[in-house]
Amino acid sequence: MAREFQRGHKARISDLTAGTDLYVGVQISGPGLTFDISCFGLDADERLSDDRYFIFFNQPKSPEESIQLLGAQAGDTESFRVTLDRIPPRIQKLAFTATIDGAGQMSQVGPGYVRIVAGGEEVARYSFNGSEFSTERAVMLVDFYLKDVWRFAAVGQGFDGGLDALLKNFGGEVLEEEAPAAPAPQQPQSGSAPGFAPPAFATPSAPAPAPVPQGFTPPPAPAPVPQGFTPPPAPAPVPQGFTPPPAPAPVPQGFTPPPAPSPGSAPNVHAAPTVIAPLAPGTVPPPAPAPAPYGQPPAPPSPGAPMPPGYGQPPGPPQAPAPPPGYPQAPTPPPGYGQQPPFGQVPGQQTYAVPQGAAQGGAGVSAALQKFKETPTGQRWTPQNSKLIRADLGMGGQPVLARQGSMVLYQGKVDFSYKGAGFAGRIVGNATGQEMQLMRCTGNGQVFFAENSAHLHPIELQGDAICVSAESVLAFDEGLQYEVRRIEGHGIPGGALFTMQFQGTGTIVVKTHGTPVVLPVTPTTFADCNAVVAWSAASQVIVSSQVRMRRNAYPGDTGESVNLQFRGAPGNFIVVQPYEV
Amino acid sequence: MNQPLAGYAPAPVTARMDNHGDHMLKVAMQTGNDLLARVGSMVAYEGFVQYEPNPPAVRQIARDWVTGEGAPLMKCSGDGLLYLADYGANVVVINLNGDGISVNATNLLAFDAHLTWGVERVKGLAKFAGQGLWNTKISGQGWVALTSRGKPIVVDCGGGEDETYVDPDALVAWSPNLKVKGKRSFKAQSLIGRGSGEAFQMAFSGQGIVVVQPSEDSTDRLRFRG
Repeated sequence: MAREFQRGHKARISDLTAGTDLYVGVQISGPGLTFDISCFGLDADERLSDDRYFIFFNQPKSPEESIQLLGAQAGDTESFRVTLDRIPPRIQKLAFTATIDGAGQMSQVGPGYVRIVAGGEEVARYSFNGSEFSTERAVMLVDFYLKDVWRFAAVGQGFDGGLDALLKNFGGEVLEEEAPAAPAPQQPQSGSAPGFAPPAFATPSAPAPAPVPQGFTPPPAPAPVPQGFTPPPAPAPVPQGFTPPPAPAPVPQGFTPPPAPSPGSAPNVHAAPTVIAPLAPGTVPPPAPAPAPYGQPPAPPSPGAPMPPGYGQPPGPPQAPAPPPGYPQAPTPPPGYGQQPPFGQVPGQQTYAVPQGAAQGGAGVSAALQKFKETPTGQRWTPQNSKLIRADLGMGGQPVLARQGSMVLYQGKVDFSYKGAGFAGRIVGNATGQEMQLMRCTGNGQVFFAENSAHLHPIELQGDAICVSAESVLAFDEGLQYEVRRIEGHGIPGGALFTMQFQGTGTIVVKTHGTPVVLPVTPTTFADCNAVVAWSAASQVIVSSQVRMRRNAYPGDTGESVNLQFRGAPGNFIVVQPYEV
Repeated sequence: MNQPLAGYAPAPVTARMDNHGDHMLKVAMQTGNDLLARVGSMVAYEGFVQYEPNPPAVRQIARDWVTGEGAPLMKCSGDGLLYLADYGANVVVINLNGDGISVNATNLLAFDAHLTWGVERVKGLAKFAGQGLWNTKISGQGWVALTSRGKPIVVDCGGGEDETYVDPDALVAWSPNLKVKGKRSFKAQSLIGRGSGEAFQMAFSGQGIVVVQPSEDSTDRLRFRG
């Protein structure tokens, strides 16, 4: 039985499984994104002191093969084999990370997970999705760390830089830590690692929640060493007008602001740093995930910067943001409504201070809309987001058949024409209800399809077949064969159920109302015939209606009359939507 | 008891307008900095906020608002936190910062009252006799919130040499400096009941962006004059 982990959860691995030979599978994906998933073997100081323990695509295993990269398999984007008892004692922590290769940000990531499989059985799973992140380009997913025994921690911590910034994080601090003595082998860069504030990551797994301001907590505790940061790195390399340390620019970056990056502050305020702690009025000074410099005109209009001077004073607001002099000391937390008095005492009303800073990652129309940009890739079918899909007609050269009226936008020369079902098709369609009003899109260009904010799921068929109810089909490649299939059974009003079966090589886009559930077909898989959207055609469908004599005669009907039971070999699946048509 | 709900508490205010989740807008109200919002979009507020339906200044312009029943506005003033939503539509917050944007009236949720705005008729569509698309053009220094049925997508028109064609039902907003024209794509055979369902598109060309929602609103976008 897999144990579900949430962000911040920890457990002893011996509690999860008795085995030490583990399979770690990472599933992470996003439209148009590719990921580098790697594992860092860190020493007691959280440093990558031996770069042979940086396991990634170019170095698929550690010297004694205790950590091996296995590649994509069994539904996982990337997988590792970790043999805990062969890991040398100096490696005290394995950090599994995923970074986006190329353009993109973590908020585009779809639902994913990290799982541990031991002896063929999944023992732990940590699920995440893009909504937990924002503009980061990397995420530290889970840690295995040695504290007396090996333990597992679900971290889920976003990280702003790419793979090299991550590397710099783990190795680059050797520079700061051990001075010029031992520069990390692969880091020519100095400690001025841009765009990162490390300790947020370290602390979740720190067993002693109150890191001592100096030095380490006793044993192997990966305590953040607050001293380490001399010129505290602001997460965004914004050339801010002022220097005071701990101001992470107000970019809505999902990663936690560094709990205690300022050298002099008391770090133990942040015992549990995984969440952006709502700042209690008392804890004002140190951390401040503040939209820092608002009210300071000279800051540049880079993402995360405050609004440029022009907006500072909208016509006649009597209480303009306080002028810089009144500014206490660099970063104040946002004058949260009802949380603390607004800065700089405004005459008159003071409960509701309105910050004029831009928290939305910049100003201007295009900056505000940046996160909704079209995702570029060179595939024929590209999901833009969960509700919109783009078909590139120029690739593959075959037309697309789509439900009439489902085009929302196109670029290029595309022709839309009516696609009839033919005489026989219309007779069959009329009789079975499995009728599709289609149009044929031909030409050369990109067409965006969407309908009614339904969730869209491109399914790529490679010679196999899938059964889809006709009203759930949005678009498909013309090369696919389709026909109406009949499901027989007793107790169905009308005598039988019908569905469309698609077969061949190509992509079909299925739409669902709401986020669907995809169930593997087991000996006991049932679905409401009104909610099931699609199933792999290799599974056998049986109608299992609960027939009760009294059902219609007395009240108390469950309302669940016709169920479909699915049977088939493992590997088959059904798709059910949270909506009954 | 309400532990599972605790995660939905409002985040500290960081800006004039902010998203609370995908579907709700949070506005930090302030005296003297009024807000024009779609009538009936308020779902909650804290503090002292007053609502004036159709204030005189707006009514004047609203006379031009051919839509009539379309999207009347209300003026909100006061101090506090105002939450707006529109039937679960996604909310997109834009800090204009001197830019302008042209928005479909039905997709406009709220904007700062001091922005320059006006209802304009989309040029280039005159060839459809008697028809025209009316939309609201907003520009200046301030904040605008749009709604979109489903997560929108932003397409850069300058990308390709070809024009970008959009289904008017799915159009949300565009940069006002784009050139707009209408395009009919139906053929003779559509007249005998065999249309592709895509009879009319709007073509955009020039440098700018177009915001499109993944849903084809059934509300009437092509408004008839009179």
